[in-house]
Formats: sequence, structure tokens, C-alpha cells
Amino acid sequence: MTLRVRGLRKEFGGRTVLDGLDLDVAPGEFTAVLGANGSGKSTALRCVVGLETPTAGEIEVDGRAAMVFQKIHLVGRRSALDNVCAGALARLPLRRSLSPLLFPRTLREEAMACLDRVGLADRAAEPASRLSGGQQQRVAIARALCQRSTLLLADEPVSALDPKAAEQVVALLAALALDGLAVVAVLHQPSLARHHAGRIVGLLDGRLDLDAPASAVTDHDVDRLYAPDRAAVPAE
Amino acid sequence: MTLIREPGPAPAPPGRRLPSATVWLTLAVLAAAHVLAWQGTGFSLTALAQGWRGMASFLGDALPPDFDWETVLQPSLKAAAVTLYIGLLGTTLSIPFALVLAVLAARVTAYGTTSYQAARSLLSFLRSVPDVVFALIFVTAVGLGPFAGVLALVVHNTGVMGKLWAEAMEESDPGPREAMRVLGASRLQTALHAVLPTVLPQLVGLLLYRFDVNVRASLVLGLVGAGGIGFLINQSIKLFRFDQMATHILVVLVLVIAVDQLSALIRRRIAP
Ligand SMILES: Nc1ncnc2c1ncn2[C@@H]1O[C@H](COP(=O)(O)OP(=O)(O)OP(=O)(O)O)[C@@H](O)[C@H]1O
Ligand SMILES: [Mg+2]
Repeated sequence: MTLRVRGLRKEFGGRTVLDGLDLDVAPGEFTAVLGANGSGKSTALRCVVGLETPTAGEIEVDGRAAMVFQKIHLVGRRSALDNVCAGALARLPLRRSLSPLLFPRTLREEAMACLDRVGLADRAAEPASRLSGGQQQRVAIARALCQRSTLLLADEPVSALDPKAAEQVVALLAALALDGLAVVAVLHQPSLARHHAGRIVGLLDGRLDLDAPASAVTDHDVDRLYAPDRAAVPAE
Repeated sequence: MTLIREPGPAPAPPGRRLPSATVWLTLAVLAAAHVLAWQGTGFSLTALAQGWRGMASFLGDALPPDFDWETVLQPSLKAAAVTLYIGLLGTTLSIPFALVLAVLAARVTAYGTTSYQAARSLLSFLRSVPDVVFALIFVTAVGLGPFAGVLALVVHNTGVMGKLWAEAMEESDPGPREAMRVLGASRLQTALHAVLPTVLPQLVGLLLYRFDVNVRASLVLGLVGAGGIGFLINQSIKLFRFDQMATHILVVLVLVIAVDQLSALIRRRIAP
């Protein structure tokens, strides 16, 4: 398993946001996470990459976890390539890491291959801020690849993108999973999730309420995640 | 909650709220402070009225200004250039010190509590001692002249610019910093690859603003013997040559306006 989560709990000032989460993700698996606003999706992902400290529970990652965000977080004035190179900061010797001018040639080549994988090799020299939202998100994904990650977490990677760019980015995530990467992506578009992901998990009030192959997930399953009180009323 | 409702009058808006007791108390304290300040500074309209005669004769002596090229205007322009140089070096030479201290003193890039506290205290100290005081100290150390002025500005400006830069870094978008944390970058790498490139336009804007301020400050430093046109103004007052002083002041006016316009222009250009 690339990711193994057991009994993950997170409280913010006494309020329970994650209430005992168990989740296994295998290499090559594309898991989409659905859930209403405030159900704890971001918190769960942030716990996995260490941006939040869990109150209790175990998290094991086999290899390295990378994360991309809805608000992309590239350095706009730097080139796409330099942004991708930053993915390697943790493994560079300090003195070669202080400025993009000092990045080793081998790293620039590796970063170029990552950009090529997301289809943006021809925009390598462009400042990130000049790329479209969808292209920027793909640069962020290339940066995650340059991190040599085995697990890619994506928190609403396409919520700010137009439908076509969103489709492209989610398709890219699916393709990367086919390469063997474990992908966990929070999506607010159930249709995208069902079309591209292999597996869908649903969070409801900090608990796993749904975990099924994407092909087996019904509209009713999805409705229950977003409107629990109404779905609880027995159907006529 | 339902957002679809029957047509009909909306509920009445809540009543106006009168200023609270806190607001009245604040106003009363402010008024009292002004009465004390009025007395404490010997503020007197009668003294001002009686002094108009002195002002008039002063103006009479100053006008017309003495524009003699050899003895007044040329030295004035040369000294103005020195003033400009003092402001320039005083600003640029403080860049490395201000940058290091700002990184150490900004919560988002700080290394540890000790260096954070030390950097904060040093910046506050440098900022709270006026540049004129530093100038007087350096004049006794390296002698009268522009060099003392440069040193004074470097020291004081490090304090002010370091604080402004640290604040700009703290207000920078936390997103790129989080991205760096996730990919395992060190604090130094985060500062170099996420914080500084994001706030660079703000840092340059503040640098230009400080250059503008420092050129004006270097005038005052000249008054205490640290070179430049301020020194000439001081001399002409001591010699009662108010007509020469008027020329120097006109030159200063042109210099200050030029620097102000230039830095405003560049700041507009680099605005993010
Ligand atoms: N740093 C924090 N401090 C306090 N409460 C927090 C913090 N971060 C998240 N929360 C709370 O935890 C709950 C879950 O938040 P989270 O961001 O994980 O939800 P989400 O499922 O990602 O929702 P969304 O779809 O809106 O992104 C929310 O009620 C939120 O207010
Ligand atoms: Mg979220």
C-alpha cells in the first residue's frame, strides 16, 4: 500500500473534524474524494502531508507524498521550469539549491521531462503567471512529479478551472495513476469523479461514508453525501 | 432556511446605534491631551503675531536669492549632488543588513526564537535612534563630512527598512510557503524560493520609498556637519547670508521633487 491511514482523528479546539478515518490506497489507484463543505476532506489531506498534526491515529506513506492545491501556489514571476525544479529542493545539496541559477543541469533535464509528461514542455521558459489556470495546475503537478513522489494528493485541483481545463487535469491525474502513481483527489464534480477515477470515497462529518469502485457508485450514494438529512427520509 | 418567500414588505431594519461610552471616553482623552500639549509647547498666537517683523526682515534679506555661479550656485549644485550620493549609498549599502535581519525577524521565515527576538530587538533599536543622533556619533568617530552621513543613514535605514521588509514578508501569500513545506524545503529554501520572489515588488517599492526619505534625511544630516547641501545651508545661516541660503533651498526643492517623481515613476512601473 502506498498510503495507509488508521483511526485518523483531528480536533480543532475540541471540535472533532475527523472522526476515525481508515483508508488504504494502492500504487496506480486513482481515488476521488467527495464530501460536503466542511466534511473534513482538506483536513485529511493536510494531515497526510504534515501540514496539520493529527490528534490521534496512524498515517504511513510508502515513499513520498506530494500535494497540489486549488489555489495552485506557484511563484508567478518564475518560469514554469524553475517552479518544477523546486520540487527537488529537499534532495539538492544546500549550495546548489539557493537560486534557480545554481540548479544542476541534471535537475533541469529531469524537470523538463516532468513538464513534458504534463504536456507543457513548450512553455518551460514562460513565467508561471502567464499560463492559464489549467496550465498552472499542470505545472504544479509536474512539480509534484519532480519531487519523485509515489503519492499525489490533490485538494480540489480543478475547482477554479473551466470545464474543459478541469477535464484535462483530471484526465492527466488518471493517466499518472496508470503510470503507477497513487492519486487521491478531492473533487466537487461527481461526474468527473465517476468518469475518471477508479474508486470513490465519500466523507460525511469526518467519517468515511462511502468507499466503492467508481462504476458502482449510484446517484443516491452521492446525494446522501451532500444532503444527509434529506436522504435520510425514506423514499416514497 | 428557505430562500423562496411570499411577496410582502421586508422586516424593518434594526435601529441606529449611538456611539458607545468608549468612543466618548476616547474623544475626551484626546481633547485633554491637546490641552496639555498646547501648554507644554508654549503654543502662543501672540508670540507668533509679535514675531512677524523678524520674519519680514528675514524674507527681505533672502530675496532676491543670490544666484552667483562661482560663489553660490555651482557649490550649491555640487553639494546637492553629494546629498544625493549620501542618500543613495545610505540606502543601497543597508540592503544586505536589512535583508538578513528582515528574514530573521519575519515570523514566516525566522530560524528560531532566539535569533527572531535578537533580530527584532536590533531592528527596534536601530529604528528608534534617530539618524541625526547616529550622524553626531559618526562625526566624532570619522570626522565632519559626507562619510559620516552615509554611515548614519546605513545604520538607521537598516532598522527601518528591515522592519518594513519583515512586515511585507509576513503578509505574503501563505500558499507558496505551504507548498514548500509539503515538498520538504528547508526554512532558508522556503525564504529564497517562495517568500522573497513573491514579495520582491513590494520590497523594491519600499526600497525606493526609503531612498526618497533618505535623500531628504541627508539634508538634515548636513545641518549637523555630515556633508552635503545641508552643511551649506547651515553655513549661510551662520554668516547671515540669507540670500545665499534661499538659493540653496531652491536647489533642495528641485532635488527633492526630482527624486520624489523618479521613485514614484519606478514604483508605478514595478507594481505587481
Ligand atoms: N485550522 C483550523 N482551525 C479551526 N478549524 C478548522 C481549521 N481547518 C479546518 N477547520 C474546520 O474543520 C472543518 C473541516 O474543514 P475542511 O477544510 O477539512 O473541510 P472540507 O471538507 O475541505 O470543506 P470544503 O469543501 O469547504 O473545502 C470545517 O468546519 C473547518 O471550519
Ligand atoms: Mg477543502
